[in-house]
Amino acid sequence: MAPPSEDTLTKVSTDAATDFVQSFYPALENNRSTIASFYSQPTAMILFNGNAVADGAAVQEIFVNQMSPTHYEVQSVDCQIINKAYPTPTSTGVKLPTETTVKDMSILVVVSGYVRFGESRDLPQRGFSETFVLVPNPSADGPKGKRKREWLIQTQNFRLVV
Amino acid sequence: MKGGKGSRGRSGGSDRGGIRKRGAATRVDREGDLMMDAGSARNRGKKGRGDSGRSQAANKAMDAIQKAISSNSDTQANIRQGGRGSGLEQVIVRGWKQSKAASNRDGGLESLIAFLEKKLSPPDSKAGTRARITKSRVEGDALIVSIRPELLERMLQLNGFSFAGAPLTTEKYDPSTGGLLDQPMLSAMAQNGGTSSAAETKAKMTTILGKRYTQQTKLLDLSKLGTDPDLLAMGIFGSTSTESKFFPALMKVWELNFDNATARREAVESVSLAHNQLANITAVTTLASTIPDLKNLDLSNNEFKDAQSLIGWRWKFRNLEFLDLSNTPFSADPTFKDTMLKWYPKLRFLNNVEVRTAEEIAAQKKTPIPVQPPHFQDDSQIAENFVRAFFAGYDNDRSGILSSVYDNHTTFTLNVNTSAPRAQQTETAPWDAYIKKSRNLLKISHLPARMSRAYTGAEKIRELWTSLPATRHPDIATHPEEWLIECYPIPGLPDISGQSSTGVGGLLIMVHGKFDEINGAKVETRSFDRTFIIGPGGGMGGIRVVSDLLCLRAYGGHEAWIPEVPPAVPQAAPPAAAAAPAAPAAPAALPVAIPGAPEGYGMPAPGKADTQVQQEQLVLQMSSNTRMTLQYSEMALSGNGWNMEAALKNFEELKVSLECVLHLRPCANKLLQAQGTLPPDAFLPAAV
Repeated sequence: MAPPSEDTLTKVSTDAATDFVQSFYPALENNRSTIASFYSQPTAMILFNGNAVADGAAVQEIFVNQMSPTHYEVQSVDCQIINKAYPTPTSTGVKLPTETTVKDMSILVVVSGYVRFGESRDLPQRGFSETFVLVPNPSADGPKGKRKREWLIQTQNFRLVV
Repeated sequence: MKGGKGSRGRSGGSDRGGIRKRGAATRVDREGDLMMDAGSARNRGKKGRGDSGRSQAANKAMDAIQKAISSNSDTQANIRQGGRGSGLEQVIVRGWKQSKAASNRDGGLESLIAFLEKKLSPPDSKAGTRARITKSRVEGDALIVSIRPELLERMLQLNGFSFAGAPLTTEKYDPSTGGLLDQPMLSAMAQNGGTSSAAETKAKMTTILGKRYTQQTKLLDLSKLGTDPDLLAMGIFGSTSTESKFFPALMKVWELNFDNATARREAVESVSLAHNQLANITAVTTLASTIPDLKNLDLSNNEFKDAQSLIGWRWKFRNLEFLDLSNTPFSADPTFKDTMLKWYPKLRFLNNVEVRTAEEIAAQKKTPIPVQPPHFQDDSQIAENFVRAFFAGYDNDRSGILSSVYDNHTTFTLNVNTSAPRAQQTETAPWDAYIKKSRNLLKISHLPARMSRAYTGAEKIRELWTSLPATRHPDIATHPEEWLIECYPIPGLPDISGQSSTGVGGLLIMVHGKFDEINGAKVETRSFDRTFIIGPGGGMGGIRVVSDLLCLRAYGGHEAWIPEVPPAVPQAAPPAAAAAPAAPAAPAALPVAIPGAPEGYGMPAPGKADTQVQQEQLVLQMSSNTRMTLQYSEMALSGNGWNMEAALKNFEELKVSLECVLHLRPCANKLLQAQGTLPPDAFLPAAV
């Protein structure tokens, strides 16, 4: 297979980043029972303000049980391809370079925005910076017939910065 | 300014109207000298660098520096002359007090001037050729700027332009008739003049302020000014014009009583302006710049009709907790309470009724996820060395950094978050130098632009970096609190050597901080978030930069990442951490300043063993938790095998026995048997 063109690589990666951001933050706000489905298994590292969280299920547990209503405003997003021949895991190991498609890439996504902890609009807007690495979802199907998420969080680091 | 009388274009009886329209006149030079210094510093820097770059011999360099210094002083003299001489035109700018920028600490002046300079410049001008506002000063609601004559026409065309949400007016200022103060005594005083009448007025006002200020309660009572016998005796309220200038003058005298801004800020918590027949805040608006950190403000028994009559203070008094507007028409307005709650996020009492509880205020600040020290996992000090070298190199030798660890596959992108939250009362300079390179995917949706704004390969990155403004990042070693650096390993990076098809491991590094941007004469402080991925490669130290992703945003301070400290009195066992295992301290993460700590204590240094750095950091942490001196903290830790938990527990026992010795509390016998005691000098001096 001919290597994918730069156009294709840019389109796939930037669409992945914007699609991810546009589904992940709304889920943190008002669809918290789906949060775990955004994470790969296993994940590398998940950090919130320096607190390590074990996995996607643990993130979901925190948001469902411990977090007040939270409003995120994503103000800036950028991404870069880290590895355009990402060794996506398969049932027999990992995909070899000969087996990879254009979507076998890992993507660095960095988000800048603000978050408001609580419902009132007058509460302070806290600036945050959040770094993700997204990797392809190796599973064939989505949960219970739903469209599968194409990209999953391999690692995540959230920090309040203002 | 005794000579400046009357208002422009008017005469006789209309004086008063003209003066009133311009508002009160505190004639404060808008840091004209400071601006000049900045300018000359640039000249000096440029010249010094250029000349020493050309010359090889040391004495030649010395000559160059001397030349630069002497030419610098010439430049300064010229500027001074220019500012006062007739070579420049002066223009009055109004309307900016109503802009959102007016809530900045400097009243929005810096951004206003930057705005004007930008609008005066030809659209595609480079930094060096941009229009300059040589000098400016504030008189009441007017900013008077000096510009070169050829810019006058363009300046007057800016009339009606919108600045930060408010329309500006610009009109020519004629210095011969433009004296905004028609009362020599006050005008001289407002300028800090040294004439005897000014001194006398100042003395009288100081006396009046003294009578109205209570140090214990930090209350400045400016109520019922209209019936103050001393003020009546001074004839302040004889005419509307003196009346309108009186309050700014009073504020100026108040400011003169303090050596520094900090002392001034701390002197007053409460101000009363009750019973002053105020229909709006125009006459007293300077209160917000003189005493911006007010907690309690009594505006009761005035004539404020609606929110509009207070609008100038919409973004002021960000720490206001108590506001009294009783007996004003506005307080009967159905929107009154909601509006005031919205304007002042820390407001607890409105018209003497509690409108927010302390818990509600605290809840605003609370982060559901406690802020912990940085997570820094960097066993071989690869990230630490990289970060130190990178930011020093980025400031001083971008090309060198690129040559050493960037290769043909490295990707660099930058994006600007133009609407990021900022630190309170700071402002943001324009983003011109970056915005055309910004790859904010929310705004850049076309594929070709997304492609052209990604820079792959050291050469392309070099080209871009050369075009970006010069920067100065704070020194990590001496200003660790201004940085937050996190790092941990990640798998799955491309293997440049091609040996591993399953990817190689590397480090993900996230850096948050600030930098000064040196752009022509201006130095702007901005914040940034920069994420790097570094992996094994052929660069210096056997690494390469895989990704470098920079996000720029308005200066946001560093308070957000100061770790939330546990309760002041440490418990026997540290509170169970929410989730995190104790993260090893970062090389640059010690926000607590311990008095008496030697410079570089707790910081890595060439030749200093890692274990020593770690131990010093533990000592600092111990000292911060217990207020014990470094010496005693070290004893406590080393006596407990450098186990923080055990040392704290031991400290608690010893502290109890100390309190027993000092008879601060009755003690059970078993506590008296605790081993050892702590002498009082084990503790740091009481916190100030």
